[in-house]
Amino acid sequence: MIRRLLSPDTVAITGVITGLVSLPFGWLTLKPNRLAGGTGLSLTDGLGGGATVIIVVLWITCLALSLFGRRRWQVTALGIALNLVVIATIFFTGPAAARLIGDAPTVARVSPGVGIWLTCLGAYIAIFSCRQRLKGFPLWQNLVSWLGLLSIFILLGTGWLDNLSVIVEFKNQQAQFVRQLVNHVVLFAGSVFAGTLIGVPLGIWAARRRRAEGPIFFVTNIVQTVPSLALFGLLIAPLSALSLAFPVLREWGISGIGAAPAIIALVLYSLLPVARNTYVGLSQLDPAIIDAGRGMGMSRGQLFRKIELPLSAPLVLEGVRTASVQAVGNTAVAALIGAGGLGWFIFQGISQAANDVVILGAVPIMALSLIVDSAMRGAVKVATPKGLGAR
Amino acid sequence: MIRLENVTRLFDNVAAVDGFSLEVDQGEVCVLIGPSGCGKTTTLRLINRLVEPTSGTILVNGRDVSRTKAEVLRRSIGYAIQSVGLFPHMTVGANIGVVPGLLGWGKERISARVNELLELVGLEPRQYAPKYVSQLSGGEAQRVGVARALAADPPILLMDEPFGAVDPLTRQRLQVQFLRIQRKLKKTIILVTHDLDEAIRLADRIAVMQSGRLVQHDSPERILASPANKFVHDFVGVDRALKRLSRISVEEFIRPTPSVTTSATREELSAAIGGHRSVWVVDGDGRPIGWIDRASLRDPGQLNDITVRADPAEMYVTGSDTLHGALSRMLGLGFKSLPAVDDNGRLIGEITLGDIEKATARGENMDHV
Ligand SMILES: Nc1ncnc2c1ncn2[C@@H]1O[C@H](COP(=O)(O)OP(=O)(O)O)[C@@H](O)[C@H]1O
Ligand SMILES: [Mg+2]
Repeated sequence: MIRRLLSPDTVAITGVITGLVSLPFGWLTLKPNRLAGGTGLSLTDGLGGGATVIIVVLWITCLALSLFGRRRWQVTALGIALNLVVIATIFFTGPAAARLIGDAPTVARVSPGVGIWLTCLGAYIAIFSCRQRLKGFPLWQNLVSWLGLLSIFILLGTGWLDNLSVIVEFKNQQAQFVRQLVNHVVLFAGSVFAGTLIGVPLGIWAARRRRAEGPIFFVTNIVQTVPSLALFGLLIAPLSALSLAFPVLREWGISGIGAAPAIIALVLYSLLPVARNTYVGLSQLDPAIIDAGRGMGMSRGQLFRKIELPLSAPLVLEGVRTASVQAVGNTAVAALIGAGGLGWFIFQGISQAANDVVILGAVPIMALSLIVDSAMRGAVKVATPKGLGAR
Repeated sequence: MIRLENVTRLFDNVAAVDGFSLEVDQGEVCVLIGPSGCGKTTTLRLINRLVEPTSGTILVNGRDVSRTKAEVLRRSIGYAIQSVGLFPHMTVGANIGVVPGLLGWGKERISARVNELLELVGLEPRQYAPKYVSQLSGGEAQRVGVARALAADPPILLMDEPFGAVDPLTRQRLQVQFLRIQRKLKKTIILVTHDLDEAIRLADRIAVMQSGRLVQHDSPERILASPANKFVHDFVGVDRALKRLSRISVEEFIRPTPSVTTSATREELSAAIGGHRSVWVVDGDGRPIGWIDRASLRDPGQLNDITVRADPAEMYVTGSDTLHGALSRMLGLGFKSLPAVDDNGRLIGEITLGDIEKATARGENMDHV
């Protein structure tokens, strides 16, 4: 009996409780200008009575479903209700911001308060758990995962949220945002691409030569354990020295700070996951399969193309996925040494104590890693040979 | 067809194959047998150059294999490896079509060949060709392995414990199928096993290996009857007399025997039983249905009433049964003789325990020649 009571997913319940706890906090912050401190407004004062009723009712529904829902339709219903919480929150924020700004001087700013962030956090904790429990039902799983985010994008696109401080900030810095976004993508994608080009042969080499295995993974493991900030820092000195010694390097844009050390560090970080997964992908192959291929008269090249490559591709791509997600995050740090990218907004925002600017960098970075992650998962699935089944 | 001349292969200065010479004729099944680690697999792999000899020569069709490019040589020799090693990312059909593909056959020819081979190994082509390896049972996988080795119709087959990883019943079925296929294809085959019963059942000649050396190369009958030394003697085991019986068919031991139908008269019955202890009773078509004991001759009643009935399928033997099977049936039933029937189930004679004993004794005596 006690087991039955305890069995409902504790992750979902944790998320829902986080959501309930968010209710008494300040939901909107009104600031007289961009940099000034603000005053918090409660859920009712901020979003209004109607919105309050809807959000509270939704959260209580979620609580009931997370405590007692075991069947698949109940989990799906919970997932959808959680998405509705997010949608309602964001939806009502738009007009609320417009109303608050309308009453105040033109430089006033409205931004989401702790309450909104906590509600969204709690909702996504619980959504994550629903997503896990809906494994094997891709339609419901995708609906639950993406409904809220999709709606937010639509609201953003239609200008519904234009009165929020973050959006105002975005509008003011649109050109810069696009430039840094492109920068970010080029930095991380280019580095992962180069890391893959180097990492795959390293992995193959390690798998083929027992003697190479040790040193390769010794070095890549060490690189992996150095914090990214430290690695960027470490590269500044030698690169500055190099560019001073060889002025031609400076003409190519290589110096102690900027893109060069960032790319080098990011490539180094990509090496380990790619090389390790390539190595594992090749060495986990059943020796009998290789033996059969050789015994049937396949040449070295044929064996690689027809047997080793298709059978290890999913693991190699899995390594590229790890490297990519990691690189999206590390590229944010690269802004500190002048490489640009979305991290630029984060550090800019921190130095100016302008939270909205930080968000302008942080949220797109999170979105980018989610997108990269699911795109790479798709690639892994496509590359998995049919006979191997779902991995 | 295949000849190994004084071949030695060292691994880290230890000989896995040691001064090994062997000749296998065209169309012959040579079974390589010996305890685990004695060098059987290495010997096979020397022939298709997966392992190169430290010294010695290997000839296939009179040609030194080291003078043929390894890949080309391997495409001309079917190889079924010990652990099957089917490619998990390919369908059964694609697995079988690998070597033909390497040889540059056209698509249609390959798929026709795949169907032919699946049929040969008793797997329905339309059902099995599109399956993936993970969907096969152990026995099916091994059959696909054999089909794959046969794909390009190589004159030579090397089979490393091809029926190793299946249950005894499936193994027996695969062995029967192997013999049927081999009667049809007449390949030159070297088959590795560590199972003596399998060797005896399948081999034309058996090569017994011990620590990399050939200790005896002979027909199964001779190996069982006169082991070359103590090693072979022990390997063959204490039940070699029984094992030998499984090589001898019932055929030549069937002796004519009188029989009666249930409609026979008392006089006919007495005449038929003569000096015997009993007589077989057959139905109108001549199929055995039971017997009448001498002791019941005095009993009154119809012949039908004094006949001891028995399930014919339980007791009869056919010409293609082995003495081993016949003996086992006699012991099981407690009979001293069994009726022998032809393909239509009609009584053609009987086989007696005494005859089997004589056959055993004949073999035992050969030990001492
Ligand atoms: N590639 C190899 N490297 C080192 N030793 C080997 C290798 N292949 C086989 N051996 C050794 O050679 C001996 C014979 O092996 P093998 O031919 O596989 O025996 P079997 O097939 O009769 O069980 C064993 O002692 C084995 O350890
Ligand atoms: Mg072996």
